Amino acid sequence: MILTAATYFFGASAALATLLMLFQRDPVKAAMLMLAALLSTAGLYLTFSAQLLAALQVILYAGAIMTLFIVALTVTPAAWRDKPGKGSFSRILGLAAAALILTELLKVSAEFKTVVFSPEFSETGTLDLARALFGRFAFQFELLSLVILTSIVAAVTLISKRKAV
Amino acid sequence: MMEFFEANKDIILFTGVAAVKLAAFLGAVMGFAGIMTLAERKVSALMQDRVGPNRASVFGFAFNGLFQPAADGIKMILKEDFMPARAEKLLFTLAPFFALVPVLLLFAVIPFGDYFMASGYMVELQIADLPLGLFLILAVSGLAIYGVFLGGWASKNNFALLGAMRGAAQMVSYEVVLGLTLAGLMMIYGSASLQDMVRAQGRLLFGFVPAWGVVCQPFAFVLFLTAAIAENKRTPFDLVEGESEIIGYFMEYSSMRFATFMFAEFVEIILVAMLTATLFFGGWQVPYLYDTGFMFPGGALLPLGHHLVAALQVGAFAAKTVFFCWFLLIVRWTLPRFRFDQLMGLCWKALLPLSLLNILATGAVLTFLAR
Repeated sequence: MILTAATYFFGASAALATLLMLFQRDPVKAAMLMLAALLSTAGLYLTFSAQLLAALQVILYAGAIMTLFIVALTVTPAAWRDKPGKGSFSRILGLAAAALILTELLKVSAEFKTVVFSPEFSETGTLDLARALFGRFAFQFELLSLVILTSIVAAVTLISKRKAV
Repeated sequence: MMEFFEANKDIILFTGVAAVKLAAFLGAVMGFAGIMTLAERKVSALMQDRVGPNRASVFGFAFNGLFQPAADGIKMILKEDFMPARAEKLLFTLAPFFALVPVLLLFAVIPFGDYFMASGYMVELQIADLPLGLFLILAVSGLAIYGVFLGGWASKNNFALLGAMRGAAQMVSYEVVLGLTLAGLMMIYGSASLQDMVRAQGRLLFGFVPAWGVVCQPFAFVLFLTAAIAENKRTPFDLVEGESEIIGYFMEYSSMRFATFMFAEFVEIILVAMLTATLFFGGWQVPYLYDTGFMFPGGALLPLGHHLVAALQVGAFAAKTVFFCWFLLIVRWTLPRFRFDQLMGLCWKALLPLSLLNILATGAVLTFLAR
């Protein structure tokens, strides 16, 4: 009973925050609304008793990625001005991207009629996840680190180029 | 009424016990944070050969400044609550909460004792024993960054925003080191629950050395303490606020809003002290003290009653917390401040590689021991 109510509450607040974010012009406020949406999603995971997923959602998305967004936002000129700049081209581009994502989402969600979750998941979830990541999918998991390595090398190259000039 | 009580006895009992634990533990923490504000000023006075605050008095009794925290509180409440005209009203108001709430939330997973038997019921001396407590610590402490950033950004002051940027960059960097140092502990104790970790620290190595985190992971302890002080934004890492020289993110805040930021810092000192005690110094463990009393390595026994054992354990935890709070105060008034590039260099070029090496070494030792 409480769990169902919480599920609907977190789902609704995630959807509401996302909607508000889409119509928010101020980049920092939009980032805050996105944070609210991410935290609601973490709450949603908790109601499905996927504790590790909820914790990771907060650590990675709300803690790391959103902070990176915000640090990046503060170095854009928009953060230092009161009124955000206007650009009709970027607005059209944004609308097109939103429409594309919306159709994709509608297409995917049409297949899900009921939500299925098992309460036993949380008991063994973490261990099973670790076993899958470092056992069956170890090679693919290690391959992922190559992506990060590439981005580190790219970042270092960017910095060294700037220093040379 | 009685039927309802009988039917829902477990839930009512659980809620009541949880409420009592919350009130007692958080009450103690908040009270101690108030005393910490005085202790900070007294320690700084001691270091600088001054007397420190000693004038606030009630009916002429000053007790060497004991009423100073109360006087500070009253002063803060009565001051004008100023908000810049162009500030973002909602976010400006929310920022102090973002600073204080995550810190208070984390006390829920800290075990302040083992268990306590009261009229046949076993009361766990921890507000919530989460199986993923360590992950919760990382997740929630990451949210504290938003208090700093929103405080700076919502005041619409460029200097405050600069302070907020410094703060966000510093906190997100040291967060990484903090997480990596905790990974080594998780590998050793095989659990992310703080109570499990403390129980595991009750074992003895070679028959007489307590298996405290500082013995098993001495390297991680130094890294953790450094990163935690940086997360706490205190000297030598206080470039976020830099009270007197470089202006910080809360420069537009006054009255209780400002006090909330300051109070959050003092509560965080206690949190860091408690985490250090819990993760590296055995938490509530007293060396050689078990459920039935002391059992020394030589074979000598000293049987003790359950209530005395529980009191000793809670007392040991409190003593360790007070010790580390004092240590953090001393550190603040001893070390000079870093420059910002030194601060970032220390994190990414020294602490981060070292913490990765620590994980590697821990894994190697564990694999070697498992053979």
